[in-house]
Amino acid sequence: MGGPLEGIRAIVLTQAWAGSLSTELLALMGAEVVQIEARRRLDSWRGSYDGPVPAGLRTVPTAVHAWNCSPNFNAVNLSKQELTLDLQSEEGIELFRGLIPYADIMVENFSPRVVGNLGIDYEALTAIKSDLIMCSLSAYGADGPWRNIPGIGGTIEPTSGQSGLLGYVDGPPLNSGRMFPDGVAGTYGFAALVTALHYRNRTGCGQYIDLSMQESNYGLIGDAVLEQAATGNVRPRMGNRHLTFAPHGIYPALGQVVGQVVGQVPGHAGGEEHWVALAAESAQQWAALCAVAERPQWASDTRFATNEARKLHEDELDAEIAAWTAEQERDEAVAALQAAGVVAAPVLDGFEVAADPTFRARGYVQDVDHPEAGVHAQFTAPFRLSGTPLEPARAAPLMGEHSEEVLSRFLDIDHDDYERLVESGVTGKGPPPGYEG
Amino acid sequence: MTNGDAVTDDAAARALDDVRVIDLSTSVAGTWCTRLLADFGADVIAVEPPGGSLLRSLAPFADDGTSVIASYVLANKRSIMLDVGHPQGRRALSAMVRESQIVVESGTPGTLDSWGIGLDQRDARWPKQILVSVTPHGQDGGREHLPGNDLTAYAYSGWASVNGLADREPLKGSGYTGSYLAGVAAYAGAVTALCYADQHEGEGQHVDVAESEAAGIVFAPALLATLYAGAVAGRKPGMDLMTGPVPVRDGHFALTLSRAHFWRDAMTVLGLDELSADRRFDSGWYHREHRDEFMPLVQERMAQRDKMELFDALGTMRVVAGPVLDTAELSENEHLRARAAFVRPSEDPEGLEYPGAPFVMSETPWALDRRAPRAGENAVRVLRDAADYTDDWIGGLAEQGVLG
Repeated sequence: MGGPLEGIRAIVLTQAWAGSLSTELLALMGAEVVQIEARRRLDSWRGSYDGPVPAGLRTVPTAVHAWNCSPNFNAVNLSKQELTLDLQSEEGIELFRGLIPYADIMVENFSPRVVGNLGIDYEALTAIKSDLIMCSLSAYGADGPWRNIPGIGGTIEPTSGQSGLLGYVDGPPLNSGRMFPDGVAGTYGFAALVTALHYRNRTGCGQYIDLSMQESNYGLIGDAVLEQAATGNVRPRMGNRHLTFAPHGIYPALGQVVGQVVGQVPGHAGGEEHWVALAAESAQQWAALCAVAERPQWASDTRFATNEARKLHEDELDAEIAAWTAEQERDEAVAALQAAGVVAAPVLDGFEVAADPTFRARGYVQDVDHPEAGVHAQFTAPFRLSGTPLEPARAAPLMGEHSEEVLSRFLDIDHDDYERLVESGVTGKGPPPGYEG
Repeated sequence: MTNGDAVTDDAAARALDDVRVIDLSTSVAGTWCTRLLADFGADVIAVEPPGGSLLRSLAPFADDGTSVIASYVLANKRSIMLDVGHPQGRRALSAMVRESQIVVESGTPGTLDSWGIGLDQRDARWPKQILVSVTPHGQDGGREHLPGNDLTAYAYSGWASVNGLADREPLKGSGYTGSYLAGVAAYAGAVTALCYADQHEGEGQHVDVAESEAAGIVFAPALLATLYAGAVAGRKPGMDLMTGPVPVRDGHFALTLSRAHFWRDAMTVLGLDELSADRRFDSGWYHREHRDEFMPLVQERMAQRDKMELFDALGTMRVVAGPVLDTAELSENEHLRARAAFVRPSEDPEGLEYPGAPFVMSETPWALDRRAPRAGENAVRVLRDAADYTDDWIGGLAEQGVLG
């Protein structure tokens, strides 16, 4: 049992987050994914050849190459194989073209003109493999006046309208803590590929997918876009508040000092912040919240009598709730609220997430053994299919880990030829020949 | 064109036009999944309770009183109101489910069983059905019976812990972005199951999507960064050039200096030639460690510029940059207009403009055909198409009040 997409093969040029995530989901669903990377310009998510190994890995004897120990890269490339190829060299391009007959899917997230310049655009590749499914994932899409403007999550978030809506009620627009638009575009990229696969299953026809990070993310504020079209209202930033329901927020629990800066302290054990997320989405939940908090005066307060009244007096309401939560142990308050049917959750940090029994029981968090970084908890596929259980996730590949195997298996490159290709820098592992750090 | 076949061949094919979907979901996440199924060609029937879906009571509202969010997530679907508390209502639902390949729901585990269309029935009677459950916490693992929403998804996934500012409370994503992302994941899971069915004699299965795990998509790198660093990733003390939008003369602007040439060219555009020439700034880690030495000067220069002028100047040099655009500015955006990223439903050409396709497919395009239906608007047609009911039967259901 290899997962629902067993038998599908993807030869991909994805890098950084969104592109790599789209093809990681293929791999987690059982497809064979060969990721191709250039030694001369390593995936930006591996960092750089001269970067440091992360602090927490410095006592791990196998963690010697920073580019193989990047949390960013290793988080979004699970279960793939990797081949390095210098696509700037004729030999590298020929090897790449030689692999295409074996591919069902090709994905790339270079700037739009790059694949054309390399002679590997959709037209060129379908001349080799007529039913190929190819997806190009770019900042602004394959055409239009902004097509050649580069972008990353941190700039797509502003230009897709998300930053303008993200932030505290009294504060400026923010970018998210981790670039949300990449996660969106990557998930949409995978969605596009399986949509095309279903059509190919029906008809035998492949196709080309043009995925703009801006457009895929813009749709996620679509209700604000429609609101503006329908009413002329430009929606303000709302913090953790909900358009309809109150209360709806994240409040400090016992031990939380508001204003304290936590994070990036080596030796941190986790669980040092204490926040309760809670919401009441019905009259019953509001009544239950008042009961759990032992605040009958809330229930009888006309300012809080209906959801409409609570929305009108949300500042006072939030202050009252925060004063209550500040005296409660986080997990005790959450348990009591949940038992009473109120929407509630603790805000977990990375260490707590890694240990979370629900995520582990569901197989969403798995311990993944990486040959250099060691064993660490990782998130895996965000959906589960009952009839096609998945194999355990495999660690992200080391740079060039499967180069020789892939070239041998598909293109009959023998060991001597492989060594020659390594010497000339066409493939191999780590910094290219002549690299000076 | 000389015959009907030619007309069919000329019409754009739709990737999922072989699929009928029963949409029982009551959440934004579930209904976004089915909206995408509809946009790529599936016939999606929203089954609403008497009085209409709760989504129709969510703010904000258009001038005519209709919920904007409901207009967004219910578009492209047909609607029937059905009282599943009534035996005839359950019977009609069961008939529709039997004739459909995909069922999407968002209820607490056990809800479908009480309607006679749960997993046991699926396995015994409709093994080709793909049942998609989109719920806050998933179908098992210990939290499955707890209520939840995007707030709890962001809290449990870890994402809230890194979002917002370090000296403030953690932030969830704005609006319904987290719910939509879960909807995209559910769509992807449903179509993955379709691909499996294509190759395995139509065999269906149960797709289990937890909104908290979909939110984990955006936390996955921060999770591993936490474990590799031996320190929580945490929230940033404030937005600066390395992390997000900073003030410019007419708004806010992001200039993430993630590559050496971005730095050189951006400093040139800002008239800071000395910083542009400083080779030490070629390294990302050097920026981070010495941010205090250059940040005030750079941000002072940026505060004197207009965002679109700056974007044009930097874009010409292929520097990664982005102005913060609001919904009014987006609706006039020349690039999105050129890409046809605003669409009126083809059957409602005078209606509101919707955001367009999330991705462009060369052979099987996304399409928005219908505005959101009124609750129960298509009941008669749906019962004829999807349940093979005769008009007499349908009349009987209406008389008994089963159709809401």
